[in-house]
Amino acid sequence: MKRSALVAAAAAATVVIASFVWVSTQSESGSQAVEELTIYSGRSEEFIAPFLAQWEQESGIALNVRYGDSAELAAQILEEGENSPADLFLSQDAGSLGAVAAASLFTQLPDSVARDIDSAFIADSRSWVGVTGRARVYAYNPDAVSVLPQSITDLTKAIYRGKIGIAPSNSSFQAFVSALINQKGEAVAQKWLSEVKANDAKIYLKNSAIVEAIDQGEIDLGLVNHYYIWEVVTALGREINVKNGYFSSGDIGNLINVSGAGVLATSKKQDAAFELINFLTSDPIQKKFVEETHEYSLIPGLTPPQGLPDFTSLGSPRVDLGDLANTQRTQDLLIKVGLL
Amino acid sequence: MKSKVRFNSIGLKALVVVVLALMLQPLVYLLIRAGEKSTSEILNLLTRQKTLEVLLTTLSLLVIVVAINVLLGTVISAGLHYIKIPYPRLFLVACILPLAIPSYVFTYTWKALFPSMQGIWAGAFILALSTMPYMILTVLIAFQKIDLGIIEVGRSLGLSKVAIFFRIIIPQVRRSISAGALLSGLYVLSDFGAVSLLNVETLTVSISNLFKSSYDRGAASVIGVLLFLAAAIFITFEATLKGRDFETRGNEGFQNSIRRIDRPALSLVAVTILGSYIIAAVIVPFYVLISRFLANPTAVEINNLATAAAATISVAALGALMAFALSLPLAFLITQGKGRFVTASERLILISHALPGVVVGLALVSFGSRLGSLYQSIYLLAFAYAVLFLAKSVASTSSALALVSPQLKEVAATLGKSKSKIATDVVFPIALPSMSLGILLVFLTAMKELPATLMLRPTGMDTLATQIWSAASISRFNEAAPYALILVLIAAIPTFILTLPGTARSSSEVRSESEKKVSYL
Repeated sequence: MKRSALVAAAAAATVVIASFVWVSTQSESGSQAVEELTIYSGRSEEFIAPFLAQWEQESGIALNVRYGDSAELAAQILEEGENSPADLFLSQDAGSLGAVAAASLFTQLPDSVARDIDSAFIADSRSWVGVTGRARVYAYNPDAVSVLPQSITDLTKAIYRGKIGIAPSNSSFQAFVSALINQKGEAVAQKWLSEVKANDAKIYLKNSAIVEAIDQGEIDLGLVNHYYIWEVVTALGREINVKNGYFSSGDIGNLINVSGAGVLATSKKQDAAFELINFLTSDPIQKKFVEETHEYSLIPGLTPPQGLPDFTSLGSPRVDLGDLANTQRTQDLLIKVGLL
Repeated sequence: MKSKVRFNSIGLKALVVVVLALMLQPLVYLLIRAGEKSTSEILNLLTRQKTLEVLLTTLSLLVIVVAINVLLGTVISAGLHYIKIPYPRLFLVACILPLAIPSYVFTYTWKALFPSMQGIWAGAFILALSTMPYMILTVLIAFQKIDLGIIEVGRSLGLSKVAIFFRIIIPQVRRSISAGALLSGLYVLSDFGAVSLLNVETLTVSISNLFKSSYDRGAASVIGVLLFLAAAIFITFEATLKGRDFETRGNEGFQNSIRRIDRPALSLVAVTILGSYIIAAVIVPFYVLISRFLANPTAVEINNLATAAAATISVAALGALMAFALSLPLAFLITQGKGRFVTASERLILISHALPGVVVGLALVSFGSRLGSLYQSIYLLAFAYAVLFLAKSVASTSSALALVSPQLKEVAATLGKSKSKIATDVVFPIALPSMSLGILLVFLTAMKELPATLMLRPTGMDTLATQIWSAASISRFNEAAPYALILVLIAAIPTFILTLPGTARSSSEVRSESEKKVSYL
């Protein structure tokens, strides 16, 4: 009988504590002045929280941030629809932003928002804006890869058989496939995907897992975003024998994708959300992104992250980022070839 | 026995229907979303090679894990119960302790030692490690309930100990082995953490991948329905295999009359097997977590750690209580005999147990976002836990209620007690200790839950599981280590309580206690 008494007491205590937790996570809303914004952030807490904290200080507005996976948060916003408590959605990639935009859940950003950002990185409908740029690259082990691929089509060759890593469920890979479909057509994209799969490409869940796999010798090269090498180095606390490689100029494999932000149409605090976007896209903060997270600034003319080629010299193909958002077709294709 | 005291059956059934309606929200959600796809799309999805591959992977994994569990789990339980080993209590606790360790923590820690670990056998290994305690717990309880008289009969007939074990003991615990297999099998179906990290694409991983492609909730849901069907088949299969219920008679004062086999060679074998399991499932994870924790260059933020721990404990406990409350109507019905309605309800709840957290999470986002301030409150999150783990609660609540003998209720009734009085004065006091085990089990599982927690937690609230995720998602395993350690340590407390003596009380033991109760009436 003692144990049940224990459990009963614990239960009672729980309800009390739980209610405290609940109350403490609730904020006093209802007053007129904006005191708090709710953000859904697909960007990792580690990397974005310092920036958000700075804004909280400067604006006096508290931020209520919900961290998660970009695509899952987009799915969540889609499910919530008009009931979404979110004011602002910060995403790792254009695809997730496009999904929300396609469901008409974003408001149109006024022209006064994100003035300095290169217009190529703003959705045509101004439903969302790019905040930072990331280049698609191939990461590779310089000791293991003797012949560097010049184009993504090289990856279907026998010399890379069983040596390539890809992350098809990852949205950055999907954005790349979308661009491939847009540029070369669905038939070519399907052929390439099937051939890469047939070339015994290893499937990973995440970009960082690909970089680690290269470091551990499981594979020799993999398709990732440019900054994962730093991420893995920081995480492991040691140097790794992995380098970024670039395809020849103009190859679709050098695609530039963005992380970005959109303001929910249902938000009642849109002006404050606009201000936050302006903060994130301002010159000093963009420079900080370059220095601290090794991402590209989307303001034309700002220096690239240390040790990286200039944005323009990447020879990245011009792709409409709005099109990248349309990944339904991409999904279907990946499902069809059996990569999803 | 004909005039059993029945709690109002119609009322109970109505309550069960309400509970089922709540529980089946995820299924409703899946059907609605899957229905958005055209018939040809659905057929394409279901018949493409990939789906068949994934289905095959899932089934193979299920069969391997269940087979390992049945063999090793039975051996371990037998070793714990029948063989004289040093420090038996310590071994028992250590064998159940892996319950406290989430499958993704198992995977991270093992991968830290063997980075190239992946594939279906690695997945089976990790999942067997993490589900083994379910098997050990159920089989141990069954061993303790075996009628010692039958064993005596076997002995007097000159059967060897081996023959007694295989011909008398095993047949008697077959149903429990089967129940343990069911639990671990359902766990394999719903697990995401281990398999995704080991690159094993099961149905659950497939569903999650498809959901992450934000637009294709339809395709994900089609696969979700497939998973539901797979679970249904598995459960029916298990029920057929298990055969019909038969009455097990409790023995008197079983604990003292157990004579453990005292043979050094056998003890050595037992200690080796138990030890190997404990090394793989307890020592390795703890060793890695502790060394990662010590290697962590950044200082641990005690504040974050404490807040996350408090949040984890309170939401998981709330969820466990909710699951308990929701399990009561069906549990009462089950103790009154199994009709078709009861069996069907029980199976539906079991099948739902196989649904992955991401499905339950999104379903509750979909329905819950209409609920105003309840949405993203700890109450909705706790409800999600109740939905996910109700099956565990129903099982233990009903077996706890079964401890109350019908005669006792009758006696109470003839003494003029009202039904509610009987419930509060007779049934609950007797059944509560066993019921609390069910609550602990749900609490334990809810603490480790991740996908639904990510979607349904109040914005800004972190649990230990979400903190581990957030560090691990950027490959910072060292920073995840303190959170994982605290999670495991907190979870170890209810695990320890689960193994306290008297956990597996024979019904006779409780009956004698309940007979004492009569004098109070």
